[in-house]
Amino acid sequence: MDQILTIAEASRLIAEKKLSPVELTTDCLARVKAYDDTLHAFILLTEDRAMADARAAETRVMAGNAKGPLDGIPIGHKDIYNTAGIRTTGHSRLLEHNVPTRDATSVRKWAAAGVVLMGKLSTHEFAMGGPSFDLPWPPARNPWNPEHFTSGSSSGTGAAVASGMILGGTGSDTGGSIRGPAALCGITGIKPTYGLVSRAGVLPLSFSMDHAGPMAWTVEDCALLLQAMAGHDPADPASADRPVPDFTSDIAKGVKGMRIGFVRHFFETDNPVSPATLSGIDHALDVFEHLGAEISEVKLSPLAEYHACGWIIISSEAYAIHEPWLKTRFNDYGELFRDRMALGGFIRATDYVQALRRRRTLCQELKAAMADCDILVSASQVSEAPKITDVPKWGTMEKPSLTMPFNLTGYPAMSVCTGLGSGGLPVSMQLIARPFAEATLLQAGHAYEMAVGTRKRRPEMAMAEAAE
Amino acid sequence: MKPSVRETEFDVMVKQTGLPLSAEQKATLYEAYWMLEAMIALVNTPMLPESEPAHMFIPEVR
Repeated sequence: MDQILTIAEASRLIAEKKLSPVELTTDCLARVKAYDDTLHAFILLTEDRAMADARAAETRVMAGNAKGPLDGIPIGHKDIYNTAGIRTTGHSRLLEHNVPTRDATSVRKWAAAGVVLMGKLSTHEFAMGGPSFDLPWPPARNPWNPEHFTSGSSSGTGAAVASGMILGGTGSDTGGSIRGPAALCGITGIKPTYGLVSRAGVLPLSFSMDHAGPMAWTVEDCALLLQAMAGHDPADPASADRPVPDFTSDIAKGVKGMRIGFVRHFFETDNPVSPATLSGIDHALDVFEHLGAEISEVKLSPLAEYHACGWIIISSEAYAIHEPWLKTRFNDYGELFRDRMALGGFIRATDYVQALRRRRTLCQELKAAMADCDILVSASQVSEAPKITDVPKWGTMEKPSLTMPFNLTGYPAMSVCTGLGSGGLPVSMQLIARPFAEATLLQAGHAYEMAVGTRKRRPEMAMAEAAE
Repeated sequence: MKPSVRETEFDVMVKQTGLPLSAEQKATLYEAYWMLEAMIALVNTPMLPESEPAHMFIPEVR
């Protein structure tokens, strides 16, 4: 195959019977074999399952019974999504031999949509602890330069999508774990509104901050994947019981007349971003204005306040989940996870409650700020990916996270690549919408991608392989 | 930056958690503890007594 296809492109070709799901899957498997010894995106490659899924999809397509746009599309699941009969480890020694008996709801929904399961993808340990070198599997590496970090915790999904080993995959996002790797790997990742996508069957980290969502090369691909994940699930106590809109029907509508705010103090003073990240955001604002959006500045509480509130909640809830193992199997965890997690044991009940009270005031503040905005723009990550060996143990505490505010408030947020920085690695921006306004969020992201055409360039290793 | 508590006080806090930390692990956590203290201070800014938490109790448990 002479190019790496997006989901939308592959889907159209499959529907027209110009591309076979078996051919597409074989092509992805070849990439896994070519790159994954370097990238370590997969914890478990399910090759036989992938070929069986692909053949079944091909049979449906040829018989005129295709299930929809995801039929025959190769995907992977972050290894915190339960897969029946297939090992699900959380990238941890503690669950090294764990084989669930039931699929996570999202796994089941995607399977019903006809996807081809390529395997289970690397994560930071229990979606928090990486990049760790003391676990049974190595950490994923960045396809734009394998000496560099992917961010996390959905690290394998970021690396596998960017290099074309899969066309899309699942991620989870508790403080930025979809948007971080999407940003550093130069792909698109959406953290939906809290409650839109079921968390049932996904290993929990923090009950009130965890979000499940899709990652893919383009905004349009994320829309297709989100459509197949979203919806009420009685198995998830936080699941929202409301109709799911069509995320793709208006995706090409553009941003004319949209009101777009930007939170400049988040990324200029509260946690200053690199010149390339900053110019990418400023250029995006120019693009939106040129496309007919109204642009204005929005001010919120300092990023550090959102970050502290989110961190206290995550640490408390995660500690409650992991305390039994921390007390009995402390050294079976990787160093990064156990040290970061152990701090949660020092948080008092009153501090947790205060964080929850503060959370409400910050939610009210964001709601008021967005009364006059359809979309907010901020940064996803401060810069290009650092070297994987340069990631500090306490980095996530030292500086306020640019993504945390929207886990704390539950608002939908998406990382969109804005180009490459001076080191040749991706830089990005973050778009945010009102609760359950994913259709608007996807519309804005798609308008940007269509206007700037940044989605043609893949990591060099993937480009070289595709040309062979 | 340094934590507001002394190492001996921190030892007591570690004991209260029940975590089986080595001396080295305890020292690592002690060095980072000031960052947690800073965050705790940020969430403990004054609030009206009637300020409710974000999570609401719902009797009809799903």
